[in-house]
Amino acid sequence: MRIKLTSLMVDDQKKAKKFYTEVLGFQVKHEIPVGEYVWLTVISPEGPNDLELSLEPNANPAGKAFQEAMFSQGIPLTAFEVSDIAAEYARLKSLGVVFKSEPVAMGPVTIALFADTCGNLIQLYQPN
Amino acid sequence: MLLRDDLFRRLCQGRELLDQVHPEPLPIRDIARQVGISPFHFIRQFELLFGVTPHQHRIQSRIHRAKLLLARGGCSVTDVCMEIGFSSLGSFSDLFTRRVGIAPSVYQRRSRVFIHLPASHPQSLYPGCLSLMTRLPANAFRNFREASPSPLG
Repeated sequence: MRIKLTSLMVDDQKKAKKFYTEVLGFQVKHEIPVGEYVWLTVISPEGPNDLELSLEPNANPAGKAFQEAMFSQGIPLTAFEVSDIAAEYARLKSLGVVFKSEPVAMGPVTIALFADTCGNLIQLYQPN
Repeated sequence: MLLRDDLFRRLCQGRELLDQVHPEPLPIRDIARQVGISPFHFIRQFELLFGVTPHQHRIQSRIHRAKLLLARGGCSVTDVCMEIGFSSLGSFSDLFTRRVGIAPSVYQRRSRVFIHLPASHPQSLYPGCLSLMTRLPANAFRNFREASPSPLG
């Protein structure tokens, strides 16, 4: 048994595709229409054989309530690893990304928190 | 942009206010005032944080609520229109059709096929996963209902 896929709820898949590819720099791996929605997954060009991330619509009211509450409480729903967090922080800020916290050293990692414009807070971390 | 904690909280409060249903929706500038941000900054920072303007967010929120009510069945398109705070059926139908791609009545008919599975229909009409669902107990969808926000009844 292997872990090859994980998922993140987004409030709008079109917006998510734009943000996760054009701003974060991920690449679309699958984009398959399924009724009203799309089976949309992205991978990182820095690790194309790492996990595949599915961007799922939060159409279920329970999912929407969960996502909104976690966001308002400032809790990130996932985390992405970077090798140079200061450079990534500067790059994303210049692209208009909103950060809730700037890079801070926390023991073995340095972390920062940003909003993905699709209803989630995402943590960036760099192993120290 | 680095957002201060108190500003982040105010923008989240603003989003909650936008999600509330009012017969006369509050103007965006009043919502901005309620959370203590100037209308200009509220609109600009809201869009950076949530990817849509406050106005667009409110429309999406109402459409989302309308879809749930329509899919659940038991109320007419007019009921749904009133429930989400529209006074004109025409403008609700136009907006819904533009955003969702089909008219509210069509959306309701289509989702009913999925949500209320009439036992009298021949099973061959359903794809495999749905024929499996018809064998589920009648209360199988209970959690979906319970998960809905209470104003939806």
